[in-house]
Amino acid sequence: MKTNIFAFTLSIVVCVTAHAELKWDQTMVELHPATADKQAIGHFKYQNTGSKPVHFKSVRTSCGCTAAQSQKEEVPPGEKGEITATFNIGERTGTQVKTVTVETDDPEHVTTVLTLKAVIPQQLEITPTFVFWGQGEAPKPKTIVVRAAKEFPVKHLKVTSSSPDFQTKVEETGNGQFKIDIEPKDTSKQVASTLTIQPEDSQKIFYATARITNAPPIQ
Amino acid sequence: MKSSLVHQALILAVFALVPGFGEAIYFRDKISWRSPVPASEMVTAAQARTWGGNAIWVDARPDAEFASDHVPGAVSLNEDRWNELLPQVLAVWSPEKKVVVYCSSLSCNASREVARRLRKEAQLPNVFVLKGGWEEWLKSKK
Repeated sequence: MKTNIFAFTLSIVVCVTAHAELKWDQTMVELHPATADKQAIGHFKYQNTGSKPVHFKSVRTSCGCTAAQSQKEEVPPGEKGEITATFNIGERTGTQVKTVTVETDDPEHVTTVLTLKAVIPQQLEITPTFVFWGQGEAPKPKTIVVRAAKEFPVKHLKVTSSSPDFQTKVEETGNGQFKIDIEPKDTSKQVASTLTIQPEDSQKIFYATARITNAPPIQ
Repeated sequence: MKSSLVHQALILAVFALVPGFGEAIYFRDKISWRSPVPASEMVTAAQARTWGGNAIWVDARPDAEFASDHVPGAVSLNEDRWNELLPQVLAVWSPEKKVVVYCSSLSCNASREVARRLRKEAQLPNVFVLKGGWEEWLKSKK
């Protein structure tokens, strides 16, 4: 019985190793782009360690926001290369994980999934980014809380309303945290305002929205 | 003979667990590119259609795909231009409405991300992800 198991396991190991040709340095790359970066680029290096050329059949990404390119279509034995994955950050936040699926004619590794993880720094956390009142509701102020990340200390916040129908008041509550009170002048008509929130000494602008909806008043 | 076979099968099963444990330890903090969505936050095309005018359709696909075709009345909201597009969604939103977010197909992740941000950042209630996305909506139209 022991011989059977050993033979079975050995045959699997031999099958797998005998045909492994395209060897990847790493199939997962973690990137930490800076706040101003528009793209995060991951390099997935490989080498053909086999005795036959390997051909790329397709390179597909999991998201329209990511483009991937192989430098060549054919990888001769012993040759090195890389797949470059470019992730367009856009206005994404937090940790983003995108995959690149590589198909080759290596019968033992037809498909390889490469993972690109980008940790996008978030200077301000704004909660909520939307405040609203029902039409006719008492025009009491509503609050937006802004928290600055530890690595991006903020001393002052400048808040501007695109509409004079809303007034804003900023108050620092300590520990890099601010409170923005938004108060509509009246709630009889449907109006909306974009609030621009900008830390002092920063070019980056953040947004929130205030609106009087057509919904019945919330008591 | 029979017990020998069972014994061998058990040993092989234990072998099979080894790489599983290895992956669980090595990738313990790895985030799946497809974040799981609870069933209660998913909606089928047939169900969403019954909501009629009470539903706001949000297209999470890239601009070019939205421009090519979209669910009638849908508003575009993708993460490439989140700050610019979000006010359009909020302008048509009201508390009694349900929000249905879709992307290209079952395998895309954009609708999950957009729905997550609408719930977490804008704190909108009743935000759903369309099961199967645009592809499924097209099929349900036939």
